[in-house]
Amino acid sequence: MMEGSISNRIRVLRFLNGEMSQAELGQRIGVTRQTIAAIEAGKYSPSLEAAFRIAQVFNVPLAEVFQWDTKATQGA
Amino acid sequence: MPYREKTAWLSLIAMAVTFGPYFTITANSMPEALPNLRQFGLFAIAAMVQMLILGMGHLYLGRRSPQDARTPPDERDRTIMRRSISSAYYVLIVGMILVGCVMPFRSSGWTIINAALFMIVAAEVVHYSVVVFSYRRQA
Repeated sequence: MMEGSISNRIRVLRFLNGEMSQAELGQRIGVTRQTIAAIEAGKYSPSLEAAFRIAQVFNVPLAEVFQWDTKATQGA
Repeated sequence: MPYREKTAWLSLIAMAVTFGPYFTITANSMPEALPNLRQFGLFAIAAMVQMLILGMGHLYLGRRSPQDARTPPDERDRTIMRRSISSAYYVLIVGMILVGCVMPFRSSGWTIINAALFMIVAAEVVHYSVVVFSYRRQA
């Protein structure tokens, strides 16, 4: 299995959108401020729907918000 | 601290201050015969005090942050809830197998009742501990 992790640019995108607060972003996609903080910190992976909603708020494609970083693994 | 983490802490504290003493007293004076009004009274007091603490605690937390109390759980809250309930389920099922299938051959009366209560409380402790742990590590 390919190993990797999800990274995101939500902090940068919030800054570029007039320093939007976590609470405001959370309100616009229907989650709490704490959930946005967890997503931003990479501790919680949002559902596909929430991910699309975040991208929609920033008016960017999904790939600009979330990236899949693959790790080089040894063995089969 | 998220509202749901606060309520999980409240439930843990309520259980610790009610069923902690209940099981300590019970372990020191194991009642066997049924019915046992003293034992039943002790359980009734523990249950009522727990309900009182939970009721007053929820009222207090709800008044302190009414917005959070009204907000329905989001997808992360639901994920944490699912995880905590599935962890507690295993504790409960193992406990009930022990209490319902093993203990009747060796014990009787209040010993079985208290063992069943203990497993229910243990499952609840696991449930709320997983909730608190999940919110603490932001998962």
